[in-house]
Amino acid sequence: MKRSKRIETLDKRPVNMDGFINEWPEMGFIAMKSPYDPNPSIRIENDQIMELDGKTRDQFDFIDQFIADYAIRKDRAIASMAMPSLDIARKIVDISVPRKEILQIVSGITPAKMAEVINELNVVELMMGMQKMRARRVPGNQAHITNLKDDPIQIAADAAEGALRGFSEEETTTAVARYAPFNALALLIGSQVGRRGVLTQCAVEEATELELGIRGLTTYAETVSVYGTEKVFVDGDDTPYSKAFLTAAYASRGLKVRFTSGSGSEVLMGYAEKKSMLYLECRCLYVTKGSGTQGIQNGSVSCIGVAASVPSGIREVMGENLVAALLGLECASSNDQSFSNSPMRRTARTMLQFMPGTDFIFSGYAAEPNYDNMFAGSNFDAEDFDDYNVMQRDMQVDGGLKPVKEEEVIAVRRKAGKAVQAVFKYLGLTEVTDEQVEAVTYAHGSKDTLKRDVVSDLMAAEDMMKRNITGVDIVKALAETGFRDVAESILNMLKQRVIGDYMHTAAILDENFNVMSGVNTPNDYMGPGTGYRVEGKRWEEIKAIPHIIDPNNF
Amino acid sequence: MEYNEELVAAITKAVLQQINEQNVSQTDRQHIGSAKTSYANARLAEKSTNPKEVVVGVGPAFQREIKATITGIPLDDVLRNIKAGIEEEGMVPRIVKVLKTSDVDFMGLEAAKISGSGVGIGLQSKGTAVIHQKDLYPLSNLELFPQAPLISLEMYRAIGKNAAKYAKGEKVTPIETQNDPMVRAKYQVKAALMHIRETEQVDPKIPIIVWEEA
Repeated sequence: MKRSKRIETLDKRPVNMDGFINEWPEMGFIAMKSPYDPNPSIRIENDQIMELDGKTRDQFDFIDQFIADYAIRKDRAIASMAMPSLDIARKIVDISVPRKEILQIVSGITPAKMAEVINELNVVELMMGMQKMRARRVPGNQAHITNLKDDPIQIAADAAEGALRGFSEEETTTAVARYAPFNALALLIGSQVGRRGVLTQCAVEEATELELGIRGLTTYAETVSVYGTEKVFVDGDDTPYSKAFLTAAYASRGLKVRFTSGSGSEVLMGYAEKKSMLYLECRCLYVTKGSGTQGIQNGSVSCIGVAASVPSGIREVMGENLVAALLGLECASSNDQSFSNSPMRRTARTMLQFMPGTDFIFSGYAAEPNYDNMFAGSNFDAEDFDDYNVMQRDMQVDGGLKPVKEEEVIAVRRKAGKAVQAVFKYLGLTEVTDEQVEAVTYAHGSKDTLKRDVVSDLMAAEDMMKRNITGVDIVKALAETGFRDVAESILNMLKQRVIGDYMHTAAILDENFNVMSGVNTPNDYMGPGTGYRVEGKRWEEIKAIPHIIDPNNF
Repeated sequence: MEYNEELVAAITKAVLQQINEQNVSQTDRQHIGSAKTSYANARLAEKSTNPKEVVVGVGPAFQREIKATITGIPLDDVLRNIKAGIEEEGMVPRIVKVLKTSDVDFMGLEAAKISGSGVGIGLQSKGTAVIHQKDLYPLSNLELFPQAPLISLEMYRAIGKNAAKYAKGEKVTPIETQNDPMVRAKYQVKAALMHIRETEQVDPKIPIIVWEEA
C-alpha cells in the first residue's frame, strides 16, 4: 500500500510508542467493570456479615473476611445498601450534600457497590467528587528524592531544594538496597534545611523500613503494600492481618503511616481472577480502611502502564483515588510513575488530580531529573518544575509548589551538603569531601557529581545500623558541629511521635511544626464561595514566576 | 531521551499480533499459552553443602514456554553468560528451576537456600534478575536488576561474577545501576503478558527441580 504522509507522521508521534491492549477480562485487562465482577450484596446475622457481594461466609477468602469483619459499618449497611448506586453517585457531585453525609453513607456499602457507584461518574464528576471529598482543606504534594549513585550529598541537596519548592513530604529509595540507612539519614537532614516540618520516608523492604522509622531516621512510612486478590498476598508471604500488625507496629512508636495499593498489580502478578481493576482496588482500599491506617498511596502507582493500556484506564485511576477519599482515607494520588512517551498524554493524566486537588497530588514528583529517579521514572520531574509552576499560575490552582530564586536554591543545597558532611564526620561514617559538596551544590543530577567509594559507603551504612545510631544521635551531631537550627528541627520532628497529632488523617506540618490534617483543618467545600481558594499570600507566591516581562525595560 | 524506535515498534507489533491471534481464535481466553508443561517426573533439587557453589534459580517458563528475554535475548545465551561469570571467579554454578513461585525475589531466595555457599541468583524468563543470600528477608537482596530491558549479556556475566564474589565472602562493588525512566511506557504491557505466561507454569507441589545436570 502506498503510505499516506499524514498517517506516517502520526505513526511516529510519541503516543504511538505507548503500549495499548484491548479489553481482556479473563486476564484482568479491564478497567472499570468486568463481566465477572460480583453484584453487590450483604446479609447480616447476629451482628456478623454472613454474605458479602454474592459470597457466603463459608466461601470467603481472607480478604472478604477481613473486609466483612473490619471495614464495613454494620449499623449503616442496611440503609446504605438499599440506596440506589446512582443516588449515591449524584449525592457525591451535589454541592448541597456535605462531605460528612457522604462519608456516613459510604461507610455502609460493600466493595462491589462502591465500584458500581464509581461507574456512574464521568471524569469531570470524579473530579468534582474529589474536590469535595479530599480529607485536608489545603491540597499538598510529595517529592521523590533519589539518584543513580545513592549519593547521600545529592539526596540532602535535592531534599533541601524540594522542601524549599513546597513539597510537604519527601520519599527516597535506593539503587542498591544496602544504602537505605544513608539515604534515610541524608533525606532527614536535607529536608529540614530546605523547610522545617517536611516529613520524610525511605521506601525499602518492609522490615528495614520499620526499623529506620523506629530509629527516628524517617518520620513516616508508605511502603506497606496491599493487594486485591488472595493469591497476590500469599505470593508475597503476606495477609491483610500481617499488614494490620505492621500498621500497629508503626502506631506504637507514634509514626505516621499510609498503605500503598493501585490497580494493575494483580494483572502484573498474574492473579487478577478475571475481576476489573476498579473492583480489585476497592478491595485493597477496604483492607486499608479495615486495618486502621489513616491513608493510602494509590492510583495504579507503579502498574500505571497496565491501567493506561486499556480503555477508560486513566478514568479508572481517578476513580480509585476518589474511592480512597470516599472511605475517609488520606489519598496520595500517584502521578509518580512515567507511563507515556507523550508529554501531552502525561500532562492530561495529571490534570485529573491537579485541578480538584488531592491530599498529595503526586506521590511523588521526581525532584531530580528522571534519569536519577530510582522509582523507574516519575510522571513529572525536576525539568518540569517551571511548567508546573506556570500551570498553577494559569489556572489559579494550588498544586503545592512555588517558584524559587536561584540564589536560594544554591544556598540551601550547599547548607544541606555541609550538614551531611559534618554529621558523617562526627559519626565516623565515610568521608565527604568539600569538592563533593561543591559539585552537588551546583548540580542538576548525578551526571554532574563526583564518584563515591561504594564499598566503603555500604560498610559504613551497615556499621551505622550495628552501632544503633538513632535520630537523637543525628540531633547531637548537628548541634555539636554548628548546625543548631537543623538539630532543633529534627528534634521537633522526633517530638511529633510523642505528641501523635500527625498520625491523624492527611496530616502535614507547617514550618512551625503545627499539624494541618483532615481533623483540625477538614475540607469544607460545598460549591462556589466555600472551601479552599487560592488567594492572599499564597496566590502572590504562585504568581511570582521567573522570566516575567518588565514593562520598564522598554 | 534515547530509544530505539524500531525495536519498540517491533515489540509492539509482536505483542499486538499475539493478542489479535488470541482474539481471533478465542479457543482459550483463560490462558496465554497452550497446555501446561508437566514436571511430575522431574527430580527435586536438593540442598548442597559445597561452599563453592552458586545456585541459579530460573523461572517456571524458562527455556520452554519462553525462550528469549523481553528484548529478545535468547535465554540460552543469558544462562551461558551467568555461568561463565560464576566460573571466572573459580566458583561452581548449579542451575535449578523454581516452580513454587514466579516472583523474582522469592525465586532468588529459594535458590540461595539450597546453595552450598548460601548465595543464589533468581532469573525470570523475561530477564529480570536478583542476587540473593539465604539469611536476608525475601524482599531484600544483595543486588537487584529490576529493569530487564536494560540488561545486556555483559551485565548477565557481571551478575554471575558478583554473585560468585559474594559467595567467596569478598567485598563487592555492586554493578552500576541502570535506569530508563521510560521503561514502563515501553514495556509494561509486554512484561505483564510474559509474567502471566510464567505464572501459568507455577506448581507449588513441585517447588524446585534440577534443571541442568552438573
